[in-house]
Amino acid sequence: MRQAPLLIRRFMRYPFTCLLICLVTVAAALPVFAFEQPDELLIGIEPEHNIFDQMQRYRYLADYLSDQLDIKVKLTIMSRYGEVIKRFKTLRLHGAFLTPYTATMGIKELELEPIVNPVNLLGESKSQGYIFVRKDSNIRGMKDMMGGSIVFVDPASMEGYLFPLSFLQQHGVKDINTYFSRYFFSGSHASAVFAVLDGRADIGSAKSTTYNQLVQNDPSIGHELEILAQSPKVPEVTLCIKTEIAQELRERLADVLLHMDQTPDGKKVLQQFKALGFVKSSKQDFTIIEKMAQEALGSLTVHGK
Amino acid sequence: MNTSYRPLLKILLAVLFVLVTAPNLHAGKRVGVIMTGDIPYYGAIHEAFRSELEKRFAGDEKIEIVLQRPFPDSISWSNAARKLIAFDVDLIVTYGAPATHAVIHEKSRIPLVYTGFYEPGEVALDSKYVTGCGFKVPLSSLLRYFKRLKTVNTLGIIFSSLEEDSVRQYETMARLAGQQDIIVEKINIRSQADLDKLRSIKSDAVFITGSSLAHLWLDDIVAILEKDQVPVADIFPDNDEVGVLMALYQPSHAQGEIAAEMAWQILSGTKPADLATHTFRDTELVFNLIEAKRLGLNFPIQLLIEATRVIE
Repeated sequence: MRQAPLLIRRFMRYPFTCLLICLVTVAAALPVFAFEQPDELLIGIEPEHNIFDQMQRYRYLADYLSDQLDIKVKLTIMSRYGEVIKRFKTLRLHGAFLTPYTATMGIKELELEPIVNPVNLLGESKSQGYIFVRKDSNIRGMKDMMGGSIVFVDPASMEGYLFPLSFLQQHGVKDINTYFSRYFFSGSHASAVFAVLDGRADIGSAKSTTYNQLVQNDPSIGHELEILAQSPKVPEVTLCIKTEIAQELRERLADVLLHMDQTPDGKKVLQQFKALGFVKSSKQDFTIIEKMAQEALGSLTVHGK
Repeated sequence: MNTSYRPLLKILLAVLFVLVTAPNLHAGKRVGVIMTGDIPYYGAIHEAFRSELEKRFAGDEKIEIVLQRPFPDSISWSNAARKLIAFDVDLIVTYGAPATHAVIHEKSRIPLVYTGFYEPGEVALDSKYVTGCGFKVPLSSLLRYFKRLKTVNTLGIIFSSLEEDSVRQYETMARLAGQQDIIVEKINIRSQADLDKLRSIKSDAVFITGSSLAHLWLDDIVAILEKDQVPVADIFPDNDEVGVLMALYQPSHAQGEIAAEMAWQILSGTKPADLATHTFRDTELVFNLIEAKRLGLNFPIQLLIEATRVIE
């Protein structure tokens, strides 16, 4: 019978040492699953129509959160509407306030956790997509839209692109390039509304909250436009956080935001932030968007990734 | 007469008949055009019309365009219409509402194609010999943009009571301003002497309707208003960049091309009544930043991004 080499035989005499070495080796090879406790929280914001006003509003909120959490909360504007996946990685963000479509992509692709949704001054935390025309345009249905021009907001907008695209497909429009004389992206919801008001586009799509706010500020807009279709309601803006962030910090963050309408300081900041408060968000809110993207684009992240 | 000359005489008569009738057989078509004054907007429509019509008839019949440029007043429009009827043109093309009304008033059976007509659907053009295309600009947008630039308590509206479309635009804008509690200052231009009215206006901003008379003296109007720092909005493009702060207008080439298409169809035998009228609603929005600087106005970025063109 052949004997094992000397070195191995010697090694076998110390089973405990052997086991320890093996354990250390395996542990070193495994990925680190420890939760991240960052020194500061870097939160991204998707640019809106008035970026200066938006930054100012969010700055009040960031300062309040820094005080309450005892951790510096910093903001950064994501350079382009819809580049959420790319920006999350390159900017090393810990979280972001995201619009419905990008939030859906973030939840799916980056496993972000939706934490809270702000409630706007009209008491709404959700928005829906509108498809609208000028009342004097003679466009009353799908058939009348053929050959006209249409304005979308951005390829990464649920209300301003995904919904109208899905609606058009459901009504038999196979190719927007041939169905319309022209289509273009306005870059903001308000611009899409103004483009239709001016006659720069025959048909427009935008989110209900912006549309309703514009109508509230100038009722003549409501008299001139007609809404032809509406999407289901989805959270307008969602604070999504990386799941790698310590659960305790995520919970504290949500807690501060959900209860800030109950403290005088919190109320003051909410006023500056132009919101009534925050409500809890859940992943189920976004399943409809994922379904819509699958139907309209065949994939969730074809556009705006 | 010697009978041997008879065949020769017959041949001679036949040749003479052919020579006399030949020019008529190959004369092609005559199109009479009434383009009010020297308005660049109508000029641009006419260029597009002429170019498209030439394309349509290329290598085919000869097309002669008889162009009338009457001064913007009732007598001149009527005279222009009567001249074209007397010329016995095959088709009349008019730019703008007043010239169109003048031709219809003559009750001629010559087919008429109008273009550059503001909201033709709003006016009863009762004649089976008439068709055409026009445009509509949402005047409320100009009011909205003015208000985003500065406080507008009083809005001056320049129009001409001699021009039916200009009056309609005045009425629409006055109604819109009234709905927003804006006082309207009515500035009726019937002659050059009326420009003096502008020297004493109290308006925060001025809207110029599509009046041919007003556009004949556009540079004078803008110069007077600029002295008082009053911004001007227009529904015709400021091609010469005389200082209109914002212009929301329908691009002219499409109207010219459709008018040419209609003219071609009518000259090819289609009845005007069989051709549906069309109203163009697409617009372009131009902001003049040079003028804004002169007037001490700042265009917010959110406003600037709405423009299809910015003059700077």
